Amino acid sequence: MTDSLTEHLVVPVANEADATRTARALQAYEFDQVTVVYVIEHTADAIDILSPEQAREHGQDALEAFRAVIPDAGSETVAAADVVDGVLAVAADVDATAIAFQPRGGSRIVQLLSGDTALRLVTEADRPVIALPGGEEDESEGARGEDT
Amino acid sequence: MSEADQELARDLGFLEAYTIGLGTMIGAGIFVLPSIAAKAAGPASMISFALGGVVSLLAALSLSELATGMPKAGGSYYYVNRALGPFFGSIVGWGMWAGLTFASAFYMLGFGQYLLPLLTPHVDFLASMSGLGKTVAALVMAALLTGVNYYGVKETGSLQNVIVITLVGLILGFLTLGLLSGPSIGEFNPEGWPAVAATVGTVYVTFIGFEVIATSAEEIKNPSRNLPLAMIASVVTPTILYVGVMFVSTGTIPLDVLAASEVPVKLAAEEILPGFASAIPFVSVPSSLLAAIGGTVMILGAVLATVSSANASILSAARVNFAMGRDEILIDWLNEVHDRFRTPYRAISVTGILTLVLIGIGVGVGTLAEVASFMYLVTYALVHVAVVVLRRANPDSYEPTFRIPSVLYPVVPILGGLACVGVLIQMSTRMVPYTLAVGGLSVTSPFQLTVVGGIGIVLVAFGVAWYYLYARDRAPSETLVGEAIAPAPATAADGDGTYRVVVPLANPASERDLLRLAAASARTHEDSEIVAINVIEVPDQTSLAQDLTFEEERVERQQELLEAARDIAADLDVGLRTRAIVGREAGSVVLDMIAEEDADQVVVGWAGPRGRREHVLGSTVDPIVSRASCDVTLVKRGERAGGDVLVLAGEGPYAPVAARRGTEYAAATDGTVTVCNVQPPGDGEESTATERGEELVEAVIEQAGIDDPDETRVVVDEDVKETLLSIAGEYETICVGATRSSALAQAMFGSLPERVAAETDRTVAVARGPEESPLSIGEAIARRLES
Repeated sequence: MTDSLTEHLVVPVANEADATRTARALQAYEFDQVTVVYVIEHTADAIDILSPEQAREHGQDALEAFRAVIPDAGSETVAAADVVDGVLAVAADVDATAIAFQPRGGSRIVQLLSGDTALRLVTEADRPVIALPGGEEDESEGARGEDT
Repeated sequence: MSEADQELARDLGFLEAYTIGLGTMIGAGIFVLPSIAAKAAGPASMISFALGGVVSLLAALSLSELATGMPKAGGSYYYVNRALGPFFGSIVGWGMWAGLTFASAFYMLGFGQYLLPLLTPHVDFLASMSGLGKTVAALVMAALLTGVNYYGVKETGSLQNVIVITLVGLILGFLTLGLLSGPSIGEFNPEGWPAVAATVGTVYVTFIGFEVIATSAEEIKNPSRNLPLAMIASVVTPTILYVGVMFVSTGTIPLDVLAASEVPVKLAAEEILPGFASAIPFVSVPSSLLAAIGGTVMILGAVLATVSSANASILSAARVNFAMGRDEILIDWLNEVHDRFRTPYRAISVTGILTLVLIGIGVGVGTLAEVASFMYLVTYALVHVAVVVLRRANPDSYEPTFRIPSVLYPVVPILGGLACVGVLIQMSTRMVPYTLAVGGLSVTSPFQLTVVGGIGIVLVAFGVAWYYLYARDRAPSETLVGEAIAPAPATAADGDGTYRVVVPLANPASERDLLRLAAASARTHEDSEIVAINVIEVPDQTSLAQDLTFEEERVERQQELLEAARDIAADLDVGLRTRAIVGREAGSVVLDMIAEEDADQVVVGWAGPRGRREHVLGSTVDPIVSRASCDVTLVKRGERAGGDVLVLAGEGPYAPVAARRGTEYAAATDGTVTVCNVQPPGDGEESTATERGEELVEAVIEQAGIDDPDETRVVVDEDVKETLLSIAGEYETICVGATRSSALAQAMFGSLPERVAAETDRTVAVARGPEESPLSIGEAIARRLES
C-alpha cells in the first residue's frame, strides 16, 4: 500500500510574515491534513536570548497567521535545542507523511550564522521533505534590510 | 487538530539553576571591586561583602516566594507591578533597566582594566594611552556583545558552564594559595563603620545577578524546592568567595597599593605565587615566571567573568523591557522579535547603545557600580513590600509553591526592606552639614547628597515622571495595596442606588439586541438607566486630538450609532444616556467607564469564535470579561431573539447569575423560563443521577433568589453535550454561567454548558458575577476606618 505524500504535512514557520507566505504557497496545492509548527529554541544551560514567554507569544502570532490562511491546520509549539530537531520531533510525533517548508533567502553569511536550517532539514529528515517555492521574497519583506 | 502545545521541554534541575545563578554572580565584581572596596573601607570591606550577602539572602527569600507564585519574565519588575501597581512598576522597571545598563557598563570597564595589562607589554602604542585604552577595549567588547546577542549566535550559551567552573576553580585556587601564604591584615577598620555600611552599597552590584534564577522560574523542575535552594546557594557561594578574596587581597598587598590598582586580583596573585616556587618538585621555576603566570591566569579569569556578567545583564534588561511592554508601561516597539535571528533585537540594541554611552562619557567605574546597586536596592526594597502586600491581599491567582517559612515571615520582608533602605541612605548621603542660602534665607540640612544619591534619585524621579506622562493613561492601574489594607473580606461597594447597565456598542446590526437585553435587566429595578458607549480607537503614535480631525467619518459613524441607540431606547421605553469616547484601547476605556459609572452590569456583544489564545474573544472583549468589577453578560446573537429562555444550571459559581438574567429576559418578552440540568448516568442507578440533577437545579434557583421557573428539567444521558445542544434547540435564548478561573479561556469556555453555548445557533448570554476587583488604596483605607 502506498501513502499519499500529502496525507499529513508538518509545516515549520519562523515568524508571522513567514507563516503567511508559507501558508499561501501551500494553499496553491492539494493536501489532506497539515500541522503547522513553531519551534522555541533554547540553550541547554544558559539564559536564552529571547525569553521563553516572549518566544511563545512570537510563536502564537506566527501560528495564528498561518491559520488565518488555512484555518483547518493543527498547530504545535515545541521547545527544542534547535529548529531542525524540533520540527523532526513533531513530525515523528504526529506521524507526518512529509515535511513541507519554504526555504528563506538570506546572504551566505547569514546562512552560515544560522547554520543553514534548510540544508540540515533536508539532510537530517527521516521522511520526505517538500520545498515550497516563493521563499525569496523574504529579502525585501521579512528581513527589512536588517541583516548584515 | 492538536492543541497540546506550550510544553516547554526544558527542565532545569537544582544544579542547572545554580550554575545559571553563579554565572551571573561570579562576575566582574570579584575582580574589580576589591580595590574600590579596600579604598573605601580597608580590610573591613570584607564585612561589607558579607552584609551585602545578607541583604541579598533576604531578597532571595522574598523573591523565591514571588517567583514560584508568579513565574513570569521580568522578575522583580513583574511582581512589583502586579502587587503595587504601575506607579511603582514604572519606578522598578526603569530602575532595573538603568541598573542593568550601569552594571554592564561597569563590567565592561572592568574588562578593559584587566585586558590592558595583558596587551600593553606587546602592543607599544597602548602603553602610552592606558586611560583611553581601557575605554576603547570596553567599548569594543560592549559592541561585540551587543552584536552577538543581536544576531543570536547560539554558541555563546554553551560556554556558560565552562566559564562558571573555570572561575570557581580559579578563585578557589587563589584562595587556597593565598591563605597558605599567610596573609597579614593591618589595621582592620581604618575608615570606621559608616564607611563599611556605605561600601555595602558599592559592592552590592555584584549581588544583582541571582535574580536571573527568578526569571527562569517556570522552567525549573520542582520549583518549590529547587528555586529557593538555587537562589540561596548562588548568593551564599559568591559571598564566601568574595569575603575570602577580600581577606587575601588586603592581607597580601599594602592597602595603598591595592586601593590604587585597577587589577587588584592580578596583583595579589603575582604576590602570592612566587612564594610557592620552592614547593614545585624536580624543576626549579624562577619566581618571576610564576608571578607572570599567576597574573596572566587571573587576567584571563577576569576577562571571562566580566564578559559573562555583562552578557547576562544585557539579556536580563531585554526581559525587563519585554515585561514592561506587555504591561503597556513601555512602548511595545522595543519588543519586536527579529524575523531572522529571533532575538529581541531592538531591546538589545538600545541597552547596548546606552551601555556604550555610559562607557564613552567616562562615568567612573565606582560610580557605575554604585548606581547599579542603588537601583537594585530600591527594587528589592519594593520586592519585600510586594510580598507582604500579596500575602495580605491573597488574590486567587497567587499561589506560591514556596512560601517564606512562618517563623521567618514577616521578619524577612520587614528586615530585608529596612536593610535595603538603610544601605540606600548610607550610600546616598554624607553626614556633612550643608547650607543652602538663597538671599536672606538659609536652610541647613544635616547631610549632603552624594553623586550616586543624586543620580539614583534622578532615575527614580524619571520613573515617576514616566508614569504620569506615559504609563498612567495606558497601563491598567491595578494594585493590591488596597486589598492588603482593607479588612477582609471586602465586598463590592454599593452605588448610589441606581441600577446602571453599561453597553459598549460597535456594530449597528447587534445594537438592538444588546440594548433589548440590557433593558430587560434594567426594567426589573425601580431606579435604573442604561449607558450606551462607543469608543473610537486611536493608535498609539498619534495624539488623540490630531487623529480626530482626520477621522471625521468615524466620528460621524459614532454619532449615527449612538443616535440609533437613543431611538431604540425610546422604542423600548427605557432611560438611556450615551457617551462618545476617543481612546487608545476600547477594552480599557470600557473598564474605566464601568468604574466611573459605578455600573452594576455590562452587556457585551460577541461575534463568535475567531482567533485562538492571544485574544480569546477579541481584543476589546477580553479585558472587559476578565476584569470588569460588575456583573458581565456576554451576548452571542442567535437566529431569533426573545421568547422562551433556557437556563443551564451547572455547578459553576455563576449559574445563579445566569438564572437571574434568564428570568429578567423572559419577563421582558412574556416568555417562559426553564431551568435545566443534564447528568451523565454515572456508576449508580439512574434515579441517583436524577436526584443529583434536581438538587443542583433547586440550589441554583434558591441562590438566584428568583421565583419558581415555569419548568425545570433534569435529563440523564450519556452524551451530555449532544443532549444539551438538542434541548437548546427548543428555546430562543440560552443563559449560562461562566466558570470562575483565572485563565480567560477557561473562564468562558472551560465547562461543558459553556461549550454548548458556543456551538448552538441560539441567542446565548454567558453571565458572570462581579470579579473581586482590587480596591483602590483610598477605598480600602476608608473601609478600614469604617469597620
